[in-house]
Amino acid sequence: MSLIFTDDQKSLAETIRRFVAQRTPLPKVREVIGGDLAYDPEVWSRLAGDLGLAGLTIPEEYGGAGATQADLSAALRELGAGLVPSPLVACVLTAGALLALDDEEARRDLLPRIAEGGLVAAPAVSEPGDRRWIPAEPVTTATGSGDEVTLSGTKVAVLNGAEADVLLVQARGPHGTGLYLVRSPADGLTVRRDPGVDPTRGSATVTFDGTPARHLAGDAVAALDHVADLANLALASEQCGAMLACLTMTTEYAKVRYAFGQPIGAYQGVKHRLADMYVLWALSDAALREATRAADEEPEKLGAAAAAARTLTSPGYLTAAKDTMLLHGGIGFTWEHDAHFYYKNAIAGNVLAGDADYQQDRLAGKLGL
Amino acid sequence: MTSIDEFRARARAWLEQHAKPFDEAAGFDLEGGSVPLEESKRFQKALWEAGFAGITWPKEYGGQGLGAAELIAFNEEAADFELPTGPFTIGLGMPGPTILELGTEEQKRRYLPPLLRGDEIWCQLFSEPGAGSDVASLQTTATRTETGWLINGQKVWTSGAQFSDFGAIIARTDPTVAKHRGITMFIVDMRHPGVTVRPLVVATGHAPFNEVFFDDVEVPADAVIGEVGEGWGAAVVMLRNERVTIGAGGRARSNPLGFDSLAELARARGLDTDPAVRRRLAVLYARESALGAYGRVLHEETTAGLQIGARGSAAKLAGAELALWAADLAQDILGADLALGAADLERVVMAIVAAPGGAVAGGTNEIQRNIVGERVLGLAKDPGVDRNTPFDQLKLSR
Repeated sequence: MSLIFTDDQKSLAETIRRFVAQRTPLPKVREVIGGDLAYDPEVWSRLAGDLGLAGLTIPEEYGGAGATQADLSAALRELGAGLVPSPLVACVLTAGALLALDDEEARRDLLPRIAEGGLVAAPAVSEPGDRRWIPAEPVTTATGSGDEVTLSGTKVAVLNGAEADVLLVQARGPHGTGLYLVRSPADGLTVRRDPGVDPTRGSATVTFDGTPARHLAGDAVAALDHVADLANLALASEQCGAMLACLTMTTEYAKVRYAFGQPIGAYQGVKHRLADMYVLWALSDAALREATRAADEEPEKLGAAAAAARTLTSPGYLTAAKDTMLLHGGIGFTWEHDAHFYYKNAIAGNVLAGDADYQQDRLAGKLGL
Repeated sequence: MTSIDEFRARARAWLEQHAKPFDEAAGFDLEGGSVPLEESKRFQKALWEAGFAGITWPKEYGGQGLGAAELIAFNEEAADFELPTGPFTIGLGMPGPTILELGTEEQKRRYLPPLLRGDEIWCQLFSEPGAGSDVASLQTTATRTETGWLINGQKVWTSGAQFSDFGAIIARTDPTVAKHRGITMFIVDMRHPGVTVRPLVVATGHAPFNEVFFDDVEVPADAVIGEVGEGWGAAVVMLRNERVTIGAGGRARSNPLGFDSLAELARARGLDTDPAVRRRLAVLYARESALGAYGRVLHEETTAGLQIGARGSAAKLAGAELALWAADLAQDILGADLALGAADLERVVMAIVAAPGGAVAGGTNEIQRNIVGERVLGLAKDPGVDRNTPFDQLKLSR
């Protein structure tokens, strides 16, 4: 029932922090995102394989470590703090969907490969023209039956859609909304990387035109609802870490930057904004701890707790990233400084997997309003 | 069963027999005096006789000599009950622990046992009309006499002064040195004829505090708590205990500006389906539950022996900001109903009016931001142009 980190979580966080500092510090991230790849495959292979993050929350019987959501959250905070590009969130969400569905064959086939980092998997749910992350009535359709199913339609903002080996696609089938498995490449499958605002996070627009797919057994609506909770946990975790990185960076600057004969942090115009940034982070951090606790101990409370955490963290991070630029003054607006990467990451992260209105509506629904 | 479990079970059994169950729906006690004083004293005495007063205080001063684990166990059990111990909260939470830490052996033996037994009530006298956020610029004076000190001046925002036997007061004993250095803390007899207590009516129309006037009030030389000239340090010790006292607060009454109350208010007006109101209620829930979780994190860290430092100030700031935000939402939900002043809206309207008080009492939001910035984040202190200037050369508010 505890909200404070376990020794295992502290040690995992420390390991990831050291790995990020040594293998993928921000100057390295700059190089990677300046190139053609959405992430550094070597870094991903280390994160997924050696450090075991891809299979952290996958049960042991499917080749994972069977760890808790709180453990995964502790690791994601560190990756978020370093803006480390990787397909981890996409893989975690897909694995979560497979575990929530009822398709043992797909689990046996896919989960061990996701767990070892050998397979990049991504959920494809959002559609053009629909502001909701998960459309209630998808326009993408599935036709045919058995081994003859094909998909037609378009999915947008698909996390790591261009790098994914398999896609988990929400579509309207003959028996209502279902989830379908598409292997990439495939006939009639077109994937175009989005030139999004945040270069540290790859997303894609994916078009299906008679693309072969396999229907996955199980309650797709319930599974996607669970995926929305997992997305809220994962993004809130990354954002909490990034927010703390912004707070730390700006606090340090306010101690060493002098103006009018004092460190700028001595002035209330700066000090009070940093205090507010601290409070935003502290509340987001506490809400996230409560949400991961609910995920691991009281699943019936996860929906509200995860949406509540996201409702605070995403806009809070945006404010923190913006103030990081502003409090750094001129240098904070240069390309050379890292502040703009956090700002862009916060802008995209605030609308990814459901924007603020979506999250507030979702939370209100979970609260019975 | 461990000794803690036994202690907890004994506390539970005693509370069930002697205290009323907690009534979440009961109104706020805005005056702090709805329970007769004699009943409070009787209850405190019974609590002490049963071994539940001064749980962590040493036995030689009337305490139980137990550890923090017992105290937490008792507080957790007590949260389910109404304990009419309000008049003793200040004494047990602030002057008491300060005397325990800084007082002389004689002071501890004289004052701590009657406080625990419910025989004597204490108040704390810090703020002045001219010294709020900047308490160290206080102007109440204590001048030496042949046998002790003579106190003159005015204090304000004093809870419980009207029924207190003693007060812990800080006064200026040397105006020729810098403001923090010329202050001394004293024990003052509140029954002295030179002490005048007047109720202080606040924006809600209630009088939860007092103004206290001191006209040639004599105190003996052994009334000094700590050392002469070291009163600011003693005040810091006491304020640290204040934050612990506030932070330890048991279960909250149902808050008229809380999510449950405002959701109900919206439902009653058919606004719970209004998209804008619905979203703001969701944000209210998110902020309220995060603040609760933050409090639990600090509590768990304290229990685990970690230092929470000045993070209590962040919680206080967040709570005050949330109350003001919720008061705005409540007004928008009530709309024109606010003008009607219906009896069933009295609690929420009073809470709206009272909300700014939380952003001022116990240190304004601006002071909390300074504390968070300097003591949590480690930023440079305010330039503090008056820090090294002798007090008698400072510009002051009167």
